[in-house]
Amino acid sequence: MTDNEQTDNTGEAQADGGSDSAESGPRQDPRPDGGGTGIVPPDDETPTWSERKQRTQGLSRLTYEYFERARSEDQDLRQESSYVERDVLAFPTWPHEMIRNLSLTSFFVGMIIFLAATLPPHLGPPADPSSTPAVILPDWYLYWSFGLLKLGPLNPELAILGGEKLLADRTYGVMANVVIVGIIAIVPFLNKGSARRPVEQPFWAAFGMAGLAFAWTISALSIKNLVPIDAHLLFDLTFLLPVVVGTITYAVLKSMREGYMFDLNRRYYRLRPPK
Amino acid sequence: MPADDDKYPASTGRRRFVKGVVGSASLAGIGTATAAAVNSTTNPVGGGGGIVDFYGVENTGGPAPRAMPQIPLEIDSEGYLKGIFPEPETRTLESGAEITVAEMELGGITYGPKWFQYCGVQTFKGVRPEADQDNYFRYIGNSKFDWQNENVEDGQKMHVDDFDDYGSWGNGIGQSGLGKPAQGKWRSQDVSGGETLPIEVIRSERIEEQAQGNEWLSASTEEGFLAHLNKCTHFCCVPTFKGLAGSAAAGGADQIYCQCHQSTYDPFSIVEKSFVSLPRPEE
Repeated sequence: MTDNEQTDNTGEAQADGGSDSAESGPRQDPRPDGGGTGIVPPDDETPTWSERKQRTQGLSRLTYEYFERARSEDQDLRQESSYVERDVLAFPTWPHEMIRNLSLTSFFVGMIIFLAATLPPHLGPPADPSSTPAVILPDWYLYWSFGLLKLGPLNPELAILGGEKLLADRTYGVMANVVIVGIIAIVPFLNKGSARRPVEQPFWAAFGMAGLAFAWTISALSIKNLVPIDAHLLFDLTFLLPVVVGTITYAVLKSMREGYMFDLNRRYYRLRPPK
Repeated sequence: MPADDDKYPASTGRRRFVKGVVGSASLAGIGTATAAAVNSTTNPVGGGGGIVDFYGVENTGGPAPRAMPQIPLEIDSEGYLKGIFPEPETRTLESGAEITVAEMELGGITYGPKWFQYCGVQTFKGVRPEADQDNYFRYIGNSKFDWQNENVEDGQKMHVDDFDDYGSWGNGIGQSGLGKPAQGKWRSQDVSGGETLPIEVIRSERIEEQAQGNEWLSASTEEGFLAHLNKCTHFCCVPTFKGLAGSAAAGGADQIYCQCHQSTYDPFSIVEKSFVSLPRPEE
């Protein structure tokens, strides 16, 4: 209150908490934020009191100033620019959009015709059902799923069923696909992906690396008849290698956190632009 | 008087009743017609299906569900290999309908084309009892065996002399001297390539030994020759005995190995199994 009264009396600009007004000699200083009454009608951009309090000290203050500076520079540039913003929502469908679309379509159709005319057509002989090719595999990007069908050795023989398997091996393989796809599907719900670098969340980074390694090893398992490794060893490696890769990743990232001074700079690493 | 009174008659109990009857009747009609249409287009007509017992080469590994059926064989006076196929006979059912059946008692089991009616083979002309085919085994052109591709031609009848070295034959896959295989076709003269019945013949000393005193084997094999329908019971690929070096990875170097999903069958272990044979479609 006293600040306000002083300001009103002198008609001079004052900094926040302007108790040092007596010492400030030159009175032509630009008027900083917080001068005047400080009473403005609230709108959408007006910070709440808790926000104001958060912005008065430490890193949050620094961040606030940084973004505020960037925003004001951006605004200055816009104001100085000769570009005129007009209220145009879009171009009309005809002729603008339509001509653009037609030209794009013509280009790609032309490319297809060009390639079809240039490359010699391949029509192999009809398949011979009485002879199967020596190498017969699905497309490479389906190897992981093909490998999951070969998990028969993991299918437990239950003592309660007298050593019988609850599911046939082929059913078990299909269920394994459901499990893997299910795990991939729920990961986004368990982890929002807010980390910007692996050191922030070593566990999830390790989880991802293990998954990546498993994608490779299960693919290798699917073509086990072509991989020059003993079949049993390959089966064991399929499940051991991802664990090893995940463990190494976790250990490396955990030790890297020290180099990043992670505990000290946690707030910086977690920094996100304000809404 | 409401404004729309002149558009529709008033909803009375009688009208609702009539609507219900007409609606349910038309729904029932549509349902019946649909069922009849589906029935007429998908009805598995024909015959010769059902549960059947058979002898085959035992499935020892991989996803295949059961053994591959064996084809009993004989050797004619000139030394050519010939599969045994029952003579077709026409039976009259109690209903008056006539059916053609090929069945015979052989080695203590009922043998017939039912054994081979899976994997689409049931639609092949070769499994029809009345098919006009001689029963000789013939070589195919592009086999997995070098000796076969070099020494014999496509369509040539299999002869005992081609297998003279069966006691020592080997091609570097697995153990040598186990037996000599050949890929062939059976009852598939003058049919399209898609209807060729693939078979495999193996001549082995082990078969000779096992046939001693075994009722089925002594009836279905001769001079160590064993034949089986070469359709993997898993997904209908064509496996081979010692045809591919990759078989070692699945432990099938000395067995019949299917490269599609690494199923293995042991030709020296003939087992009795049963499966649900698919019916042959009508002509």
